[in-house]
Amino acid sequence: MDFDFLEDRIDAIEALVKDHPFSLLCYGTLLYSSLVALIGFSSIVTMTYLGDILIRSLLLVLFLLIFILIVYSYFVLHQKKKLLVMSIIAGFVILSMIFIPLLPPEYGLRQFDIDASLLKFLATSIILVILGVACGSLSFQPLYHFKSKASEKSAYYILLVSILLVLYPLAIIMGNIIVNGVGGITWEFLTEDVRRLGTEGGIFPALIGTLLIMIGTALVALPLGIGCAIYLQEYAKKGILVRIISICVDILQGTPSIVHGLFGLAFFVPLFGISLLSGALIMGFLTLPIIIRASEEALRSVPQNIREGSYAVGATKWQTIRKVVLPPALPSIITGSVLGLGRAAGETAPIMFTAVYFIGAGIPQNPLQPIQALPYHLLELTRLIGYKSVDQNAWATAFLLLAIVLGVNALAIIIREKYRVEF
Amino acid sequence: MLLSRTLKEEIIKHIFLVIAAFSIFIILFIFFFLFSEAYPAFTSIGFDIFNTEWSVSKEHYGIGAAIFGTLIVTIGAMLIAIPLGIASAIFLAELAPYKLRVFLKPIIELLAGIPSIVYGFIGIVLLIKFLRISFDSLSGYSYLAGSLILGVMALPIIISMSDDALKAVPRGFKEASLAVGATKWQTIRKVTIPSAISGISAAVIMGIGRAVGETMAVSLVLPNIMKIPIPPFDIFESTGTTLTALIVNQMGESSGIQTHVLFSAAVILFLIVAIMSIASNILRERIEKKFKGG
Repeated sequence: MDFDFLEDRIDAIEALVKDHPFSLLCYGTLLYSSLVALIGFSSIVTMTYLGDILIRSLLLVLFLLIFILIVYSYFVLHQKKKLLVMSIIAGFVILSMIFIPLLPPEYGLRQFDIDASLLKFLATSIILVILGVACGSLSFQPLYHFKSKASEKSAYYILLVSILLVLYPLAIIMGNIIVNGVGGITWEFLTEDVRRLGTEGGIFPALIGTLLIMIGTALVALPLGIGCAIYLQEYAKKGILVRIISICVDILQGTPSIVHGLFGLAFFVPLFGISLLSGALIMGFLTLPIIIRASEEALRSVPQNIREGSYAVGATKWQTIRKVVLPPALPSIITGSVLGLGRAAGETAPIMFTAVYFIGAGIPQNPLQPIQALPYHLLELTRLIGYKSVDQNAWATAFLLLAIVLGVNALAIIIREKYRVEF
Repeated sequence: MLLSRTLKEEIIKHIFLVIAAFSIFIILFIFFFLFSEAYPAFTSIGFDIFNTEWSVSKEHYGIGAAIFGTLIVTIGAMLIAIPLGIASAIFLAELAPYKLRVFLKPIIELLAGIPSIVYGFIGIVLLIKFLRISFDSLSGYSYLAGSLILGVMALPIIISMSDDALKAVPRGFKEASLAVGATKWQTIRKVTIPSAISGISAAVIMGIGRAVGETMAVSLVLPNIMKIPIPPFDIFESTGTTLTALIVNQMGESSGIQTHVLFSAAVILFLIVAIMSIASNILRERIEKKFKGG
């Protein structure tokens, strides 16, 4: 077949787009593809829903036509194979994320009325993939085809959409927790003991337990973490030992929190029982890599000539580190450490078998007693949702936990910005 | 005097060496204790541990279904997180105006800071309800729910590491491309992304590691039934679990050989994630070397 006439037309359109600062076409294709998706989707949904066979077949034909059109335009426009793959993935994700939440419950996929889950799954995935190809290939078209400003505009547009999709769950999480949780934060909630499996009363012991865990974590992880960073950055020469330490820090950073929890169960619990001490040690190990990496980064940013200046006036290595290198690096080290402690405040899995009780632990008198903690409290409340009326307290606990963790993170960022030392 | 001063320096140096070696000890301890707890399971069950049959009453403990679930849920999560994450990172690193970048970067960090239990709670009260209604499924607890939650949770790490990788590409590379007449988008596609590809791969591997090891949120939204759904790829079905969810849900009331089996699940998790960490580290080192030379 001969497609030359189409190529000419495309060249003409391209020239048009080049002349105009604002690419009409690329927005046109986006609009078109969303229209296609919408029609296709509604036709499929209504197909089993409407009794009228005429409407059904009409919609089916329309959808098939549009699908053929998409395939046709795809092959005519000489796209590369990898573009197809990229488009499928992007379109799939974009569409499944846009369409599924927008569907009201009564127009959901229950209209299929198909019992076998295989069919249900196949149908939904086929629709999404087809629509994905349609939307993806058409919306990616301008990026690859036109060499003008239009491609940049549309690339910008698509990347912007992707970051908006990233922010969407964040907005949902934060919005819901603030709206539903802030009302539950009262003085009584903060200062009273847990009563009746968390349906009544407050969370005072859990709040104190979380603060104690953070303090304990700091006591374990700060000396070890900063010390390790000083060795790696100031003393160590590049060699096998540094490499092994570095790999171990990386593995430690990637170790799942539940693995830390089981390690604590196997190692610390036989020694110290289910206690604050066990929990703090485990959390210390968990945050250690964060603190090491942050401190290393901070020490690395101190320029070499400052150290040399110190050696030149006769200072020893330790004096140089203590008096010259550490002070300017300190704000960044503190920032990293505070971020690590924020992580410790929110973790559940490492302490659930090693340090916490849901109720009855109270305020520990010494480090060998068990504690209560906010994340674990929230876990138990979440498990009770639907069985007991814990919703109000659960939202309030989630709000408080989020406020503590994000407050700590914000504090870290403020420290970094305020005391930043520029060289 | 001079001697004591150098002696003191030597002592301080060795103290720091011992502190630094601590992380090696921790890794060895973790491995040793997990393995010693898991060992009885390997000796008494052997390779049957990879079976898919799990029944506490019959004392059949096969974690195959959980391994399969981990695989499916992770793939689902990555289908969401990789394209979105990399696209967002490109936007942040290359296209966003400075003011927008300064505004968005802490927000992405915020997303990383949300504790996993909060994701799990939101998953229960919002996501599960939503899935139950719109997909007309029995409970809403499914692989799909796990994948959605994990996808969102893996996003920040992929975005921030890819962003770092893209930012590490030397200016000279881009300027050379722009100087020969390429547009900004062409430069990004043909120069910046290929140069940063090992850093982006490292980001993706770390994201996968996070998804494999994530516990609390996943354990709450998964069905936690130790069976592979029929058909196996049915992400809507209310059966299935992951390794992490299995451990969290059964550790509390397990005893005897079951506990050892759960520890062996932890050993498998630890090995997977350790391999991924090392791979990610190697890729990052490669990108550092590449740009230091150039």
